[in-house]
Amino acid sequence: MAKGDSLGEFEHLVMLAVLRLGDDAYGMRVRQEIESRTGRDVSIGAVYATLERLEEKGLVASSMSEPTPERGGRAKRSFRLTGEGAAAVNRARQELASMTEGLAFP
Amino acid sequence: MKPPVFASWLLVALAGERLAEVIAGDLEEEFALRDPRGASGWYLSQVLRSSIPLLSIRTPQTALVALLAVAMPVLLLDRLWSFIYSQIPLKDGLNRAPEFLIVNLILVCLCAALSRSKPWATFGAAALALWVSVGHAPLLYSILVLTLAPASAWMSR
Repeated sequence: MAKGDSLGEFEHLVMLAVLRLGDDAYGMRVRQEIESRTGRDVSIGAVYATLERLEEKGLVASSMSEPTPERGGRAKRSFRLTGEGAAAVNRARQELASMTEGLAFP
Repeated sequence: MKPPVFASWLLVALAGERLAEVIAGDLEEEFALRDPRGASGWYLSQVLRSSIPLLSIRTPQTALVALLAVAMPVLLLDRLWSFIYSQIPLKDGLNRAPEFLIVNLILVCLCAALSRSKPWATFGAAALALWVSVGHAPLLYSILVLTLAPASAWMSR
């Protein structure tokens, strides 16, 4: 595996949020999901910067939906994991499980 | 109630029209659900805290690397030559020493190769640096920098 292939910590969180949210995965929902589950105060810009980077790497794909009135007539950009993205999340999970196996946490 | 105009304007300036449209939609959706007393402050803080990540999307990393690795050495060497030139008395008609230019060229190619930035970014950075150079580099030197620096970056990738 090349050095650039491994996921950064925040990239991992964003990908897990996209996976959890399924069809409802768009910027604000991803931000809220990370905030509610980790307690981190995350900015929408950080989420989009990460999603753009993940899309460049081919780990997520995005599509635009129709504009809605509650968004001020603006379209929504939804994200989903690609096959490569799902494999990267699995690999990260296995690596973490392997590294934490048998450890006694304080 | 509407989001603060300044924040909306700032968002477009930071993210560009295409991405700002999507982000503004997301923010407006959550803005409407928030307590009106703190909603404007929340919106503004989201935009301000997003400024660095959003700027990083719009400024390709490769362009920054090329600017630092290629344009900076070209400009610094040009400044060094200007300083040397300023110390020489009776310099009428004095041209840049060819050895100095050859060392410049080698250093720039080396920096371009080490940066491993994209050739187009290397070319752009070199062109910008030559254009900004106060000392007006000789034509042959400029052509060699513009061709060999991107070639070095390309070969190192």
